[in-house]
Amino acid sequence: MFRIFFALIILLNSLSAHPVIFKNGKVFWITQNSSFNDMRFGVSKTNSWLIGGRLLEDRKSNETFALVNNNYLAKRWNSRNSQANLYLLSSVGLNTRNSKSMGTIGIHGDWENRRFMVMQMIEYFSYNSALVSNTRLAYSPYKVDYSKTSTWLIAHYRIEYSDNQYSYMFFPVIRLFKKNYLFEIGYNGNDSFLSFMTHF
Amino acid sequence: MMKNLPIFFLLVGLGFSQSKVTIQDSEIEINDNEAVVEVLGMVCSMCAFGIGEGFSQTNFIDKSKFSDGVSVDIDAQYVQIGLLDSENVKPEKIVQVIEDAGYDVSLLFILQNEKLTKFSTDKLGILQPIAFNITSDNI
Repeated sequence: MFRIFFALIILLNSLSAHPVIFKNGKVFWITQNSSFNDMRFGVSKTNSWLIGGRLLEDRKSNETFALVNNNYLAKRWNSRNSQANLYLLSSVGLNTRNSKSMGTIGIHGDWENRRFMVMQMIEYFSYNSALVSNTRLAYSPYKVDYSKTSTWLIAHYRIEYSDNQYSYMFFPVIRLFKKNYLFEIGYNGNDSFLSFMTHF
Repeated sequence: MMKNLPIFFLLVGLGFSQSKVTIQDSEIEINDNEAVVEVLGMVCSMCAFGIGEGFSQTNFIDKSKFSDGVSVDIDAQYVQIGLLDSENVKPEKIVQVIEDAGYDVSLLFILQNEKLTKFSTDKLGILQPIAFNITSDNI
């Protein structure tokens, strides 16, 4: 059921995210890659803490998890023409098939200005003891004002460590965003990556 | 010097309903009942969206001005807002909206009741008025 719903959303739109947004802001965020379908809804109770729900499907094991998602902005550095962030991420919940508990914990750091962005995220998944690293380097070929569509070219590198094995993936990703909508698509010949996020 | 004092106070007392302020080399026209805020960290439209949403939930924004009361310039990193003339807006309220969105204020100009005031954030992050009844010549 989740797959059908997810596929519909992908077809209609597609999915990605800032872990914490403005006070009282809401975020809907959906991401798909070869390993996961990940759908989240959250509310920023303050400008440094977001709480919400998360449905995470492991596409390899066909397991789905219902989680409470908790993101904390540990530190933000606002500068003239740039911004850097350090987030602490966590989720706790249940496997929908067997009600076994499951949790994730992660750390996310980024820096961006209007032309360049670097991001590093490391997340641990308790159910399969997997450690996943996502690294991004991004470049925007042009600067646009608030009302126009912004384009980013992203090199996304993913490393997953589980069962004493490493797997590596590289995605060239295109990010488009306008006002409060963000869309990303990536493809490397074997795997695809889709992400959609909106704030409201 | 003493002879010029009455002329000085007369000029100050007259005030003005329009002026120009400068943020990051951008000269911005500001009218009575408006504020211009230099926002640190506002590097994308999603950042600006949160600021606009924050101002839309306040009771001191004049939504007949700009786009629902708010104009954003990401290049020069400033936000210009329309203020209701019935409200004597405290600068702290404007700063709170920016901070709730996750950003910092570097400079704030408020032109209300024909009085232009410039505020700047000090090293402790506290907003301080640094000039009153300023004209575009001394901003």
